[in-house]
Amino acid sequence: MNKTDQTPHFLSLSNGLRIALKQIHTAPIVSSWVWYDVGSRNEVPGKTGLSHWVEHMQFKGTSNYSGKAMENAIARTGGYSNAFTSPDWTAYFQTLPSSALETALRFEADRMVNSLYDAVEVETERTVILSEREGNENDPQFLLSEKVQQAAFKQHPYRNEVLGSTEDLLRLTRDDLYQHYRNYYQPSNALLCLAGSFDEDAALKLIEKYFSPIAQTETIRSTPTPENEIAQAEKVELLGPDEVNYIQIAWRSPKASDPDFFAYTLIESILSGPSTLNMFGSGGIGNRTSRLYRELVENQFAASVYGSLSASIDPGIYTLYITCRDDHSPDEVIARFNQVIDSFLNQELSLEEQETALKQARANFAYSIDNITNQAFWVGYAQSFAGYDWFTNYVESLRQVTREDITRVARHYLDPARRITGVYRNRDGVSNG
Amino acid sequence: MANMSFSPTALPGSDTIFRKRFPNGSTFLAYPNSTSPAVFFRGYLPVGSLSDPAGKNGLANFNAGMLSTGTKQHEFRQLHRLLESCGASISISAGALATVFSGQCLKEDLPLILALLMQMLSEPTFPQAHFERLQQQLMTVFRIQSQDTTEMASQAFDRLYYRDHPYAHPELGYPQTVSTICREDLLEFHANYFGPEGLVIAFAGGMESEKTAALFEQIFSNWNAPSQQKQVDLPVWHPHKQAMREHVVIPEKSQSDLIIGTSAPVGMSQEYQLCALGNNILGQFGMMGRIGESVRERSGLAYYSASTLGAGLGPTTWKVVAGVNPNNLDKAIRKIKEELSRFITEPVTREELEDVKQQALGQLPISLESNSGIARLLLSLERFQLSMDYLRELPAVLEAVTAEDILTCARNYWHLDSLVIASAGSTP
Repeated sequence: MNKTDQTPHFLSLSNGLRIALKQIHTAPIVSSWVWYDVGSRNEVPGKTGLSHWVEHMQFKGTSNYSGKAMENAIARTGGYSNAFTSPDWTAYFQTLPSSALETALRFEADRMVNSLYDAVEVETERTVILSEREGNENDPQFLLSEKVQQAAFKQHPYRNEVLGSTEDLLRLTRDDLYQHYRNYYQPSNALLCLAGSFDEDAALKLIEKYFSPIAQTETIRSTPTPENEIAQAEKVELLGPDEVNYIQIAWRSPKASDPDFFAYTLIESILSGPSTLNMFGSGGIGNRTSRLYRELVENQFAASVYGSLSASIDPGIYTLYITCRDDHSPDEVIARFNQVIDSFLNQELSLEEQETALKQARANFAYSIDNITNQAFWVGYAQSFAGYDWFTNYVESLRQVTREDITRVARHYLDPARRITGVYRNRDGVSNG
Repeated sequence: MANMSFSPTALPGSDTIFRKRFPNGSTFLAYPNSTSPAVFFRGYLPVGSLSDPAGKNGLANFNAGMLSTGTKQHEFRQLHRLLESCGASISISAGALATVFSGQCLKEDLPLILALLMQMLSEPTFPQAHFERLQQQLMTVFRIQSQDTTEMASQAFDRLYYRDHPYAHPELGYPQTVSTICREDLLEFHANYFGPEGLVIAFAGGMESEKTAALFEQIFSNWNAPSQQKQVDLPVWHPHKQAMREHVVIPEKSQSDLIIGTSAPVGMSQEYQLCALGNNILGQFGMMGRIGESVRERSGLAYYSASTLGAGLGPTTWKVVAGVNPNNLDKAIRKIKEELSRFITEPVTREELEDVKQQALGQLPISLESNSGIARLLLSLERFQLSMDYLRELPAVLEAVTAEDILTCARNYWHLDSLVIASAGSTP
């Protein structure tokens, strides 16, 4: 469940598969992850959604096992499994009793190379993914977020939703999917992480048994040019039937491996509250003492505000999400928001705010290692954009940030002239605004 | 039945779970893990929306939301500064039968956080400014919910299914009832129902059991509430005998949410265990069981389509849910009915039964994965009055289940001529 002192053992196979083994002996379970260095970041215009759709197809069966047989075999162990596609990576995991580790490794190795991409299954999954997108489209925040992303990135694929556009989802073919799979699903483009209770020698033998026979093939990668800045302020507006008005404001954030990312993390904590480090497990810390909550929610301008800053390979965005009350228009809320940011940029930061942000980071780190699946997640996630040291040194890196760093980074990034302001309004003016 | 790969004695049981009942009627549970730098807790007070007075639906929920807006010792900002400056959190919400709280903190901060929890539960001040703010926020939530297909389908289902039972009402209440709640209502509700009698709290993580029990006693023994009343009795509820259907129109939604449901046994009873195994086969196992196989995998009609079995002390439901394109709503209903028909006609196969028994056994060690999960588990044991050795005894219970047992349960609860069907979304 925790213990902070287990350092993963990193090694690799001759076919290029990278391996990270982290032993945690607090429960007789293991979490096994395979990470591929591919996500929507590697997609080209007209083919958005490929990585996510490939992820779905990886559950549809191989030349050796049907998709159902694989799903059921994992479920029978009592374990749970899932997969995620992000802009930067695609990951598959199983958390199961330690005695069932071989089942997970056998299936992951098999679908790294033997997935079928049956044409009928591709068509069935097309409607499933369109349905997934339709579910998201029900939420006006999703629709607004898509617009804000497109404004924040002019050419970088971070502008696209991981799900892909409806237009592309209707157009992609079985061959598109299969080529993407064969190109990126290679041992030399993958990282296998185990965290939990296992014998390292025995686990390595299993890994070699199943993954070593997979031949090494070079991945041809589409690597985008980072967009380091938002060139100018831009407003995007969306009108719709939902009664509540929403605001999203996005600024550029540095890539996670940039030393300034840690100062930015403290800025986020002070302005909108700390982001949780938990993808799995218990929730995070509140944000009622954050500056934006105090000024917007406590002072009754908005119903809620929260922020989102993610660690990414290329420069990303820090987005504030504001839900408006019906007694203040979006313009009034934005005006108040601007005052908070102006004050943050021009007044000295208090020592108390900085120390609170640091303590919150320490607590978030402790919560993040409560869950074995989350520990395995962090081994792979941190490797995707920097290295595992980034995670283990997280609290110390934040401690090294000075108040001058925070001011400098805030003034550089939180520039009103270089941000995207998105507003969703009720088209009939039901709310005041 | 295959072997278990680890000893059941490794699971939390009566010899490793610390349980103590205090003279003021509160109960304390703990399961320590010395390697953890953090402590996770969950608990409840036995009062919820069931005790909302007529015309004041949403009062228990409103009350729960106000508990963190100020106490006799700390006004709002001080209270949250204390919590957030040490990276801790406490959240409180109300269900139908209980006001539930949970929290987490670094272990060195536990004395402070427990003291704050005690103040929030026992001496809230319900500041007028925060009352008005929360009331406004709730109105915003109602407006958001009115456009949310999942929420509207769920509310329609409860209206049809529970009719004149209190469970027909959403715990959040309605705009017209929440707008009539005044601060005095909250003071009265709190004075009537809040006290240590029936309070249960469970801890897991880096604390020591006995020291924490002593700390809890030291802090909570000061809570006296002589006027504390018991929650109003849960009205008897009789399952309906006729089919019901409602579609809530929410224009311009890409996806409709669908719920098809029936009644379910009382949570964690022996019959519940049988239904839980059956439910796994119906709509959980692997990629959402038989329902997922039919609606998602073979037909491509939905991203999600699964069955869920509620677990509660009062009446509860067994549901099949799906999110589908509005044009596919009727087709999805037909597919789900086909699977339900099969479920009550044929016994599950031997392989299906073995699958879900194996899964239930394998889930036992998974339950130890996190301290927050263990705290949740301890609370369930207490809430459902289960043996502290429940997990250890489960393998023998599972061993005895047959396919005929599951078929009997399925037939007891699923009646295809009296299904309740609710949906929300655009007009098909």
